[in-house]
Amino acid sequence: MKEGWLQRLQNEVAQAWAVAVKDVKVYYLRPGMIMFGFLMPFFMFFSFSVRREMAAAQGVARLLALTVFFTAAAAGPFIIPLERRLGTYDRLLAAPMSLLTLLLGKAAVGAFFAIGVSAVALIVGVVAFGAPIAHPGLLTAGLLVGSFSFSALGLIFGSIPTRNPGDVQMPSTLLRWGLLFISGVFIPLEEMAPAARAVAYLSPLTYAQDLMNHAVLGAGLLTPWLDLLVLLGSGLLFLLPAVLMHRRSRRLGY
Amino acid sequence: MDNAIEVSGLTKYYGDLLAVDHISFEVRRGEIFGFLGPNGAGKTTTQRMLTTLLEPTEGRIIIHGHDLARDPYPVKRQMGLVPEESNVYTELTAWENLMFTAILYRVPRSERAARARELLETFGLWEKRDVKVENFSKGMRRRLSIAMAIIHKPTLLFLDEPTPGLDAQSARVIRDLIRRLNAEGTTIFLTTHQIEEANLLCDRVAIIDHGRIAAIDTPERLKAAFRRVQSVEVALEPDGQAHGPALEALPGVTTTVKMGDKWRLYTEDPSALLPRVVRYAEEHGLRVVSLNTLGPSLEDVFLEITGQQVGVVRHETEAGGGKQRGRGMRRRQ
Repeated sequence: MKEGWLQRLQNEVAQAWAVAVKDVKVYYLRPGMIMFGFLMPFFMFFSFSVRREMAAAQGVARLLALTVFFTAAAAGPFIIPLERRLGTYDRLLAAPMSLLTLLLGKAAVGAFFAIGVSAVALIVGVVAFGAPIAHPGLLTAGLLVGSFSFSALGLIFGSIPTRNPGDVQMPSTLLRWGLLFISGVFIPLEEMAPAARAVAYLSPLTYAQDLMNHAVLGAGLLTPWLDLLVLLGSGLLFLLPAVLMHRRSRRLGY
Repeated sequence: MDNAIEVSGLTKYYGDLLAVDHISFEVRRGEIFGFLGPNGAGKTTTQRMLTTLLEPTEGRIIIHGHDLARDPYPVKRQMGLVPEESNVYTELTAWENLMFTAILYRVPRSERAARARELLETFGLWEKRDVKVENFSKGMRRRLSIAMAIIHKPTLLFLDEPTPGLDAQSARVIRDLIRRLNAEGTTIFLTTHQIEEANLLCDRVAIIDHGRIAAIDTPERLKAAFRRVQSVEVALEPDGQAHGPALEALPGVTTTVKMGDKWRLYTEDPSALLPRVVRYAEEHGLRVVSLNTLGPSLEDVFLEITGQQVGVVRHETEAGGGKQRGRGMRRRQ
C-alpha cells in the first residue's frame, strides 16, 4: 500500500528518533566518546582559564560554548566509522528511510550528548559558583541550535569513507582546534584586532560564544538573532557535504 | 514469469578493478536462489548492490517491479538482510535489538512486542531476551541477526553465508528456518560458498566466477550437465592406499582423489570402469571392501565450472604443491 507524505514524514521522524536513542544507549560509555566528547571541553576550559581572573558567569558562558562545540562535534567522527567497521551501519543504510533521516538521527545523538554535558556544566556553574543566567530562553535556544550545528559539523568527518575511527579523529581534531583558536572564546571579540576579528567570524564557535555571552552575561558583540541564524544555517550547510560523502561511500563500497 | 529480482548488465568497478562484469539473471518469486562462487568472485559485491548498499557502475536491478536506482524505498520495506557478520548491537539486549529494528522497519506499535516474542521463542532466545548481546555465543548472535532481518515479515530475504562457523545444531536450526520462511512465501537469495548447503536448500543456483555468471540452473540439472565428473569409489585391502597411481592408469579414469581410506576414480563411464576395478583387485590379490558409483556432486560441478579440474587441485595440495588460480577482480580493459 502506498503511504501518504504525512505518514512517510511521521515514519522518518520516528526512525531518526530511534537511531538517536539507540546511539545514546550504545555509545555513551565508549572510551572514545568519554575522552573526545565528555572530558575534552573541560580540559580545554581549565587549560585556558585556570589562574586567570574571571567572573563565574563569564566562566560558565565560556564552558557552555566549549562543551556544546566539542561534545556535539565528537559524536559523528567516532560513531559512524565504528559502525561501518562493526557492520551495523549497513543495517541503517539498508533500512527504509532516507539518508537525510539517518543523518538527522546521527546529528541528534551529538546534540543529546552536548546538551547533557552542558547541563552538568550549567548546574555546577549556577549552584556551586552562583553564576546568574540573564536570558534562560536564549540559553535554551542557543544550546539546542549550537548542539545541532556542531553535531552536523562532526557528521562531515563521520562521513569520510573509512572504517577506522582513527583515520577520522586526526582531521576532525585539527579542524576543531583550528576553529577554536580563531574564535572569540579565549580572546573576546571586542579585544581582537580587526583582521583577527574578521577571521574569527569564519568560525561558527564565535557565534556560539557570543550567543552564550548574551544568554549568561546579558551582553554580546553581535545580535543574538544573528548568532542563532548563523548557527542554524551552518548546521544545515554542514549536512550537504555529509550527504555527498555518503553518496561517495556508497560508490566506493564503505 | 513472476520474478522477484531481475538483474540486467550489472557491473561494478572499484577504480580500475572489475569486480562484477555485466551479469544478468532473474530470481523467481518464492524460490530459494543460491548464489555460489569462490572467495573474491563477486558474490558479496553483487548482493550489496541488490540491497542498495553499493552503487552499481552500470546495469539495472528491478525488485518486485521497482527500479532499485529510482525507487528504493518500497523495495527496502519488503526486503530483509542478513549479512555475513552478525551486525547486532552488542551493548543492547536481544529485546532492545529487535525493538529497534521493528521501529526502523515501521512494524505497527501494537504488533512489535508479539512479533519479537514469537521470533525469540522460535530461535530459542526468549529466556535470554534481557541479556546483553555481548554475552551471546556466535550461534545466538547469528539467530538474533536473522530474527532482526525478518521482524517486518519481508517478502525477500538476503542471506550472506548464514552458517559458516556455527556448530552443527545452530546450522541446522538456521537451515530449517530458511525452509520454513520459504514455505511461507518468502523469496530467499542465499549467497554462499558452501556447496552442500546450496545443494540442500536451493531451487536454483547461479555460479559466479571472476565477476561473471558461469552457470545458472537447478542443482540436479547442473549435475546432469557434467556427466564427465561421475565417479567410482573403491576401498581395497590390504594396503589399498598404495594403489592410487595404478588405479589412475586404468582405461577410462580421468583423475583419482584419495578420500580417507578410499579412492575416488573420476570417469565419464562408470559402468565400463566397474569391472576393470574388480579385475584389478583380483589380479593383485586385493579384497574389495566397498565399491560404489557416484553421480557428480554440486561441488564437482562447481569446481569444473570455476576452472579447478576435479581432483587435481586437492591431489596436488595434498602433495604440497597446491595449485591456486588467480581469482577475483580484473583490471579495466
